[in-house]
Amino acid sequence: MAKRILIVDDEPRYLRLLEANLRTEGYEVVTAQDGLQAVGVFSDQPIDLVLMDVMMPKLDGFGATQRIREFSSTPIIILTAKGDEQDRVRGLDLGADDYLVKPFSATELLARVRAVLRRAQPPTEVGQTRFFTHDNLKIDFARAEVWRGEQPVSLSATEYRLLLQFAHHVGKIMTSEDLLSSVWGPEYRNDKEILWVSIARLRQKLEEDAHTPKHIVTRSGLGYLMPPIEE
Amino acid sequence: MDTHTLYYLQELMQIAASSDTSRTNIEKFIIALRKEFVFDNVAVYLQDKTTQNLEIMYARAIGRSKTAEADAAWGEDFAGHVVRKGQLLLRDPKPDVSQDDRLHQAYMLGLPIREGNLVKGAMVFVRFGGPVYEDQHVAVAALAGEMLSMLFQRAAQTELEEELEDLKRQMQLQEDFVSTISHELRTPLGFIKGYSTSLLREDTSWDEETQKEFLMIIDEEADRLSLLIENVLESARLQSKTLPLRFQPLRLDGVLRDVTMRIRARHKNLDVNAQLESVPPIFGDGVRLAQVFENLFTNALKYAPDSPIDLLLKQVGDKIVISFIDQGPGIPKESLPLIFERFYRVRGEKTVTGTGLGLYICKQIIQAHRGKIWAESTPGHGTTFFIELPINSSR
Repeated sequence: MAKRILIVDDEPRYLRLLEANLRTEGYEVVTAQDGLQAVGVFSDQPIDLVLMDVMMPKLDGFGATQRIREFSSTPIIILTAKGDEQDRVRGLDLGADDYLVKPFSATELLARVRAVLRRAQPPTEVGQTRFFTHDNLKIDFARAEVWRGEQPVSLSATEYRLLLQFAHHVGKIMTSEDLLSSVWGPEYRNDKEILWVSIARLRQKLEEDAHTPKHIVTRSGLGYLMPPIEE
Repeated sequence: MDTHTLYYLQELMQIAASSDTSRTNIEKFIIALRKEFVFDNVAVYLQDKTTQNLEIMYARAIGRSKTAEADAAWGEDFAGHVVRKGQLLLRDPKPDVSQDDRLHQAYMLGLPIREGNLVKGAMVFVRFGGPVYEDQHVAVAALAGEMLSMLFQRAAQTELEEELEDLKRQMQLQEDFVSTISHELRTPLGFIKGYSTSLLREDTSWDEETQKEFLMIIDEEADRLSLLIENVLESARLQSKTLPLRFQPLRLDGVLRDVTMRIRARHKNLDVNAQLESVPPIFGDGVRLAQVFENLFTNALKYAPDSPIDLLLKQVGDKIVISFIDQGPGIPKESLPLIFERFYRVRGEKTVTGTGLGLYICKQIIQAHRGKIWAESTPGHGTTFFIELPINSSR
């Protein structure tokens, strides 16, 4: 079935540009002209991916991302202007999965969309046990569900994939490049900012105290690891 | 100290505590001071900020010899002396002056006015023919000098604070300008990049109609970008006053007729109803004024399409008033005062392309002619732009 992509931008020419290119790849496209409309469209029909502009009337891209995250973990790509580093970090902080910097080329757009959709696919698990536990953290691979103690934790698709990387390699140090390549895709290998924000978000959700993490530990200058639990 | 003295001092303090260095307030202080401290003339000198010369800022003859007010130079030499010494000085009349001419028997008392540790001026009192200043008088005068110093210091501080505020505002404007301009430039650039790379994609082919559509968008956005750059440069030149205006005697009815003809030639269906009175010539730059009129026409065409335009030119007193009246959708009330600001665009206005610089440039040009431009609008019933130019707008 064709993936359905929601484009949110108040510039008709951006809507046209995105729509025309996405359709050539066989995606289905719905559009919204501001954040409020986007949230509305979202609750009407299943959406596989959102391309969200930041500066919009009524409700801006940040506000809309935040609202959508209240009920959905559908991947969101934020469209930001070059140089607005704060905007990018803020977008990721609010739960966006990726960003695309304006001005962008058509091929760059399509590559990002493909990469994000690929990450959103639930990873297929081969011949493993169904459950994984690490201290009070529990993962149900079959249902892609995560608990902190008795508390179910809601993770975005990207966050879940990032967590799996650690769960599959307990005790092994993973470099930023490793994590970026395997979770986001090889074209992201130098995009450390996106990794920092995602690790920080994951810790917020999983750790008792995000400042002294037990599940995802930083090894300065080397990378990150999930330390082995001593029996 | 008795109650009377305390009230006297309190009154002086109150006046000095304001930061008002106007003539009226200094006068109030002097009159209050004179209730207990008798003198004939007083003068206040302050150093000019740039030249450092002592300038008289207040002089008043109260007692004898009222004519001396006109000639405030009487204390200047002595004031200079007080400033140099930086302390209270007394000067008795020269012994060789005739005893009959009281006006030449000047007993002077001078006090420095300070701002912090710096002496900024002096206050000089004179008594013609005495009596000499007794210790108590000197003490009151010294106190008055301190109070006056306080007053000027406060005023200087207020002025500095205002300058700082002004500077902060300017910097904020500059910052806003940079962020707005980069956003404005990026928008057309983003379209050019996006649509051209779409056409360059090797993994797909676009039908001819789409190709043409994309190319037209690229072309339009390139035009928008170049217009934007042109406007930014021009508005910067207008703001820094480096855009040279060529003033010469000018007949506005002629300029308006020309512009109207050009606009009609370009837009055959436009209904312009021009009522141009014959008005006296003004001194102005015909090219720049024509640019303003064309801009107003173009705006009407963009924002009030299909509406007829009434153009009026008439003389009102010593001014010439031009009105552009359209019957378009009008401008929201809250936007009306802002439309002449740099980069302002009516919120939600996305269908019509614009840079937010046109009316700003118009305003700069009209102001360079010592004129005024403003708009009145009733949403749903149209907008009128008014331009008022003085007949004697010569430099």
